[in-house]
Amino acid sequence: MLSKRNVITYAIAFVFILLLNFLLPRMIPGDPLMAIYGDEALIAMTPELKTNLVERFALDEPLWHQLGAYFVALFQGELGYSYYYNAPVLSVILGRLPWTLLLVGTSLILSTMLGIILGIESGWRRGSKTDRAMLAGLMSLNGFPDFFLGMLLLIAFGVTWGIFPLAGALTPYSGLSGLALLLDVLKHLFLPVAALTLAHLASGYLLTRNTMITVLKEPYMLTAKAKGLSQQVLKYRHAGRNSMLPVVTQTGIWVGRVVTGALFVELVFAYPGVGFLTYEALLARDYPIIQGVFLIVAISVLAVNFLVDLSYPKLDPRVSYAY
Amino acid sequence: MHIDLKKEIKESGPGKAGLIILLLMVVIALLAPILAPYDPYQQSTASLLPPSWQHWLGMNHVGQDIWSQLLYGARTSLLVGFGVGIISTLLGTVFGVSAALVGGIYEKVVMRIVDAFIVIPMVIVVILISAYIRPSITTLILLLSFLSWQGGARIIRAQALSLKERANVTAAKSFGANHFYIAWRHIIPDLGPILLVDFIYSVRRAIFMEAGLAFLGISDPTVVSWGMMMRDALSFSYLSVWQWWLVPTGVALSLTIIGLTFIGHAAEPVIEPRLRGVGIA
Repeated sequence: MLSKRNVITYAIAFVFILLLNFLLPRMIPGDPLMAIYGDEALIAMTPELKTNLVERFALDEPLWHQLGAYFVALFQGELGYSYYYNAPVLSVILGRLPWTLLLVGTSLILSTMLGIILGIESGWRRGSKTDRAMLAGLMSLNGFPDFFLGMLLLIAFGVTWGIFPLAGALTPYSGLSGLALLLDVLKHLFLPVAALTLAHLASGYLLTRNTMITVLKEPYMLTAKAKGLSQQVLKYRHAGRNSMLPVVTQTGIWVGRVVTGALFVELVFAYPGVGFLTYEALLARDYPIIQGVFLIVAISVLAVNFLVDLSYPKLDPRVSYAY
Repeated sequence: MHIDLKKEIKESGPGKAGLIILLLMVVIALLAPILAPYDPYQQSTASLLPPSWQHWLGMNHVGQDIWSQLLYGARTSLLVGFGVGIISTLLGTVFGVSAALVGGIYEKVVMRIVDAFIVIPMVIVVILISAYIRPSITTLILLLSFLSWQGGARIIRAQALSLKERANVTAAKSFGANHFYIAWRHIIPDLGPILLVDFIYSVRRAIFMEAGLAFLGISDPTVVSWGMMMRDALSFSYLSVWQWWLVPTGVALSLTIIGLTFIGHAAEPVIEPRLRGVGIA
């Protein structure tokens, strides 16, 4: 359902992101050309190129005109040029994106599913020893920053026991194909996914457990019990399914968190996704890449949030009354 | 609200444990100059030494005493954490309470901005800004505060809306009290427990963020922080130095965050009373 409230919220978020991306390099002291293009650009810069670039971004004109030029470039899909990689920003990012999507997608699915199952089991046994142990364990796990979990896994399984590869997403120059290639990808994926999944397990778990506890007090649970339904049916079909709804609303926010989590985990495992690209760009002060990643990640997260907001009333018709 | 926050935390085992961990970290942070045997910034030629009686946790790659750095790291984490916690709770209270009391267009504008900031992924915004301005500790505290008060403002507003309907507020209004007086005398005092929960979670988030930024190398390079120490240690993960360099630092950081999580969890029935009595203990 497309409510006016939703549209305004996302419009404000969208404008904030674009303005931040536009204003930051132009507000800081020094040559805006350098702030937009980074240190590498100055080395490659000829006077002709410089005039060309100044003209393209209308840098010698008032801020208002610059904003216009910025939007024109943006809507033509132009994210700038990285002089560090000597390639257009968009193609550099798109080249890295599949690895991040693989990492984030797998971790998001695993951590949400595991979190829901653990939450249902824990909530069902609320107050028992098992429940308390799970709650304490998962909350402690939640305190470990994803990059620390990643480093511990790397040192244990990679460095010490040598079970999994230390870095990268593929064995370089292996010339593998077919099943062997798939296995190689999975082997490299395992530790980063494990780190991200463990780090984000607690969010889904805590939310499901909390809802489970409220749902179990509902009268319909008593009715279901009185009908003589089995424990499994009660637990999963009646209580569990209803406890999953709040999880859906949170998915959008979790996508944001897992994506930024991936950024840190990719750094630890030198996994060649967008996160590692950001890290390289931060080191090289490659501003076009940093800006491009910011724009693409921020807008994708907004888009996911928006879609979740749209689909939620379909899943739970009760919320449409809330608007 | 008939839930006593102090009682709630004291009666919960993990709540108490969290409080003890946090107090310990605060003491370490305050007494770091006394407790630290060496200057954490003093470099020497004795690099990558294993632990010894002189240097409990050995020396790092530029010959700095790791134990002393660990103690000083607590200062940075807690300074950023508490700084952001105070400012963002303050901002959340100002905007949340004023939105609830003033209402109308003002409330709509504030709440739309709040909602917008809740959906924007904060970490990536902070990374972009830090990439350009390489913030000092003070700038970082302000930056994180401005980007993180919104979630709290939402909860505070909801609570203030219900407090607003109480008899004491109606009575005060009939005597001609203005918004400011009502907020100060009748709303904010009753918000106490919620403000504390909001504060705890803001501190936790800020400590996480500071460590993350330092780990990425975009924090103030002249200030020792746990994230920075872990970043340095990562580049030597092939040596055995991780045992006394990486692990103690990571554990200190995680313990601090776990302590805050436990306190927050023990205090959560304040926001969601239905969860009473089903906590860890």
